[in-house]
Amino acid sequence: MRALYSPRCWKTTLLLAFLTTVGSVQAYPEFQQHIVKTTGRAVNCALCHANADGPEGTGPGQIGHLTAAEQAELGRARAAFEPGARPNSPILNAFGNHLINSLGKKKFLELRLAPAQLAEALPKDSDLDDDGISDARELPSGTHPFIKSDGDPWLLFQANFKRNFTQIALALAATVSGLWGLGHLLRGFAVATRLKDDEAEDPAH
Amino acid sequence: MKLPETIERTEAYLAERFPVEKMNYASMILKKEVPVHRLSWGYYMGGLALFFFLVQIATGVMLLFYYQPTVSDAHASVEYITEHVPAGALVRNIHAWASSLMIASVMVHLLSAFAMKAFGKPREITWITGVALLGITFAFGFTGYLLPWHQIAVNATKIGLQTIEEIGAYLPGQMATWPKAMKEIIQGEASVGQATLSRFFALHVIILPLSIAGILGIHLLSVQLHGMSQGVDEKPRRMEKFFPTYFLKDLSVWGVAFMVLFILGLCLPFDSLFAYPLFEPFNAKGSTPDGIKPEWYFFWVYYPLELLPFWVIMLGQTVLGVVMMATPWIFKNTNRRTLKVLAVAAGAYLVVMTVFGEKIYHLFKG
Amino acid sequence: MVDAFLFVGLPYIAIVTAVIGCVWRARTNRFSMSSRSSQFLEDRKLLWGSAPWHIGIIVVLLGHILAGVLPQVWSSILTVPGALIAIETVGVACALLAIVGLSALIYRRVTSARVQAVTTTTDLVVVALLLVQIVLGLLSAVHFRYGSAWSTGTVVPYFWGLVTFRPDMTYVADFPMLFKLHLVGAWFIILLLPFTRLMHLLAVPLQYLWRAPQLVIWNTTRRRQHAVAATIQADSRRAFLKGAAGVAGATGLMALGVSEKALNFFKGPHPDPEADSALLQKKLQRLQLTAEERSYELERQRNDMILVARYAELAENKGRYFIDYAMAPGLAFKGKDGLPLVISAKCTHLGCTVGSELDAQGRVMCPCHISYFDVQTGKPNDGAPAKLPLPQVGWALVDSTGKVVLSRKPGESMQGKVDAALLPQCSLYITKPGRGIA
Repeated sequence: MRALYSPRCWKTTLLLAFLTTVGSVQAYPEFQQHIVKTTGRAVNCALCHANADGPEGTGPGQIGHLTAAEQAELGRARAAFEPGARPNSPILNAFGNHLINSLGKKKFLELRLAPAQLAEALPKDSDLDDDGISDARELPSGTHPFIKSDGDPWLLFQANFKRNFTQIALALAATVSGLWGLGHLLRGFAVATRLKDDEAEDPAH
Repeated sequence: MKLPETIERTEAYLAERFPVEKMNYASMILKKEVPVHRLSWGYYMGGLALFFFLVQIATGVMLLFYYQPTVSDAHASVEYITEHVPAGALVRNIHAWASSLMIASVMVHLLSAFAMKAFGKPREITWITGVALLGITFAFGFTGYLLPWHQIAVNATKIGLQTIEEIGAYLPGQMATWPKAMKEIIQGEASVGQATLSRFFALHVIILPLSIAGILGIHLLSVQLHGMSQGVDEKPRRMEKFFPTYFLKDLSVWGVAFMVLFILGLCLPFDSLFAYPLFEPFNAKGSTPDGIKPEWYFFWVYYPLELLPFWVIMLGQTVLGVVMMATPWIFKNTNRRTLKVLAVAAGAYLVVMTVFGEKIYHLFKG
Repeated sequence: MVDAFLFVGLPYIAIVTAVIGCVWRARTNRFSMSSRSSQFLEDRKLLWGSAPWHIGIIVVLLGHILAGVLPQVWSSILTVPGALIAIETVGVACALLAIVGLSALIYRRVTSARVQAVTTTTDLVVVALLLVQIVLGLLSAVHFRYGSAWSTGTVVPYFWGLVTFRPDMTYVADFPMLFKLHLVGAWFIILLLPFTRLMHLLAVPLQYLWRAPQLVIWNTTRRRQHAVAATIQADSRRAFLKGAAGVAGATGLMALGVSEKALNFFKGPHPDPEADSALLQKKLQRLQLTAEERSYELERQRNDMILVARYAELAENKGRYFIDYAMAPGLAFKGKDGLPLVISAKCTHLGCTVGSELDAQGRVMCPCHISYFDVQTGKPNDGAPAKLPLPQVGWALVDSTGKVVLSRKPGESMQGKVDAALLPQCSLYITKPGRGIA
């Protein structure tokens, strides 16, 4: 009930000091802040991170909750400076990993100064959730690139309409023909009962 | 008044409302006629609501095959339906859209029936059952909202239930504790949790459907017994036969409604009208997320509730409830022109609050 | 060379001849357009020949025309599961029906003397050509399976090449002889269109389908009443027939789309093992979270003190959520004096959970109806929807040896004393209301 939003994921808490066994952790809230400011939509850390409250903490998908194998994956993802490293960071969701994979961490860090350009830097043809709106287009409108039912309603409608056109045409044909048939059945029924009534009233024939 | 006399009068009253001699196929179907005039479109609204209700039953039963009403599994099972079950997203989306469309058509049905004075003698029972059906429909919406167990569901339900408790502060003496007791009965435990979910589930899939079926039976029976109300003050120039002419038109309206519903269900996810964080599973240890609000069909009471003192809304609701239940007697001698003006005013209020409610709220609250 | 003539020359000759011939015949000899009737000469065998032939050939021809004129619509229909099989089956069945009908017609024409009297040579040629053509078509359909699918990529572009004056033979050059013959036969039939009874194709009596039956009667009262009754009866029969057709069509289409969906819905998904295990893992995680939450409840029923956080984890400007003894959320801060500040986080208005971050005035905000609460006193701001202050929660600080060094009950003063230097080794607990502190 309020457009204002207080980003939770980027505040460095004291908890962090207690937990940091793997070096200093930083999430990059600039992009989220930018999206919230330009779209007015409530967008949280789950846009790119595995946990809605960001990577810091002890919940699932947060740094305090990783197994040894996941720690190793995290280390590998942190070093993915160039594009195409296929990181599989346990604190990022599929979209976050896709971001790092397609941009490289170096480029990504540079973009922090101009968060509006992140969408333009993304590959144009990628549509992770297959909802008909590309990730590059979903990001600036503040909708989740990895949730199929989230997207600009009008664009979603257009994409799905095109995709399901045959189904719709068939349903329309079925409805029209069904109504036409039912109409004639009812009419025939009415005519038949009228005929019967007439005969009953007029036994001469 | 003596007892035999009372019984006799009750009998006469009921006999007028439920004439047994008319309870046959010929009189209820074949002889029924529907007036044709400028407000005739209003006659379709009830049928439309019925159509959406039937869709809700069908899709609801389908969803029951996969939905699991427990705190740990509810959200996961809904996710499973939309993401993995073939055509599950379509079924669930149609269920969501049809609920909104059902409530919309019920609202329009109420207003048009009011404007047409469809509550005049002998149709009082039709009106009263109609008001009851409206209440049940809203209850369906409220209980169904909780079942997916996501952020918006649980938090909105918490607020809604807490509102009941608030009423207590305005009641005198012993009665002050009643609303709280009522809330606890509905909620089943200290906070909205598993008990609440189980209760809402039972309400949504068993109790409400059974009661709506019963009341709907009476409603439809009395509609067919008494025929359509005249609708306008002057005598309508033309009548058309209910069967098959009007019935066919009604079916065509159903056909159009089906297509609209099908296209919406297939092409526009209901969830896309909200931001995604609201659809994350409920998190007991987080703060209430931003953007929380009830479904659009509660806006007409929600935004005024935000702007005005609580007692004003409570008073207004009570008055509204009493007026709705007593409409057949209060507006007994009002002509249809006045009723139409009232209905249009109420409709305008509903539209303005639903569409511009949030803007109005920000206008006053900044 | 022969190919070039048969697949480019012949088609153009056929089309030009057909168009000019048909126009000329329609303008000069209008009433010859329908085919000459022999019904009054012989009508029993005619029914069993003509009806199946026409039904079969109309369906097959419509399929050809639709695929040829609207190839994209046609292929999109074929994408519906089961549609290809259905269409092929209908096509073959109709072709068989047409062959049976046509054979009956040929038999009738060559055996009935009365019909022979009105039979011309061209009639026989046409009938033979049609039989050959449809047999060729059927054989192609059986030998080179799923023609309804592959034709849109081969025959249709060839056809459109001809229509747009960019004839391209490569599409048809590699076809098997059988199918080539079928194509050539088609052009021959088109060529013959204006010279034979086939021209009745262009005079389809479509209006017969919905025209009311017309009766010519003597005008007497009795006969009129009879006629009226007969008309009504015929009327209702027609209505029933149309109705049945419409409903059957709708049911068929629904069966194609909806029932397939419904069936799969109830059959459920069959994810591959990997997706299956991912799903199961997700479910287990949720179950664990729920179990954790439930265990809080038990903990609160059993224990007089519950751990909230280590003192070191508390912050001045961001509260730490915990769950209090009433299973409602609470917030723990570090106060300005360095001592804990523990307060309920359940908004006193409608029970939302208030935010955890302090603003510049040291207040937390409830996002539902915008109330600001001062965390020191719990009081809401003036004019806020919430009227009551957030209640304080009783707490205790426990040092590393497990001894309570400092505690406070709501509305009471602080008990005990603690050295500021030892604070970081302490932990913050909440205490059960109505119980003394151990």
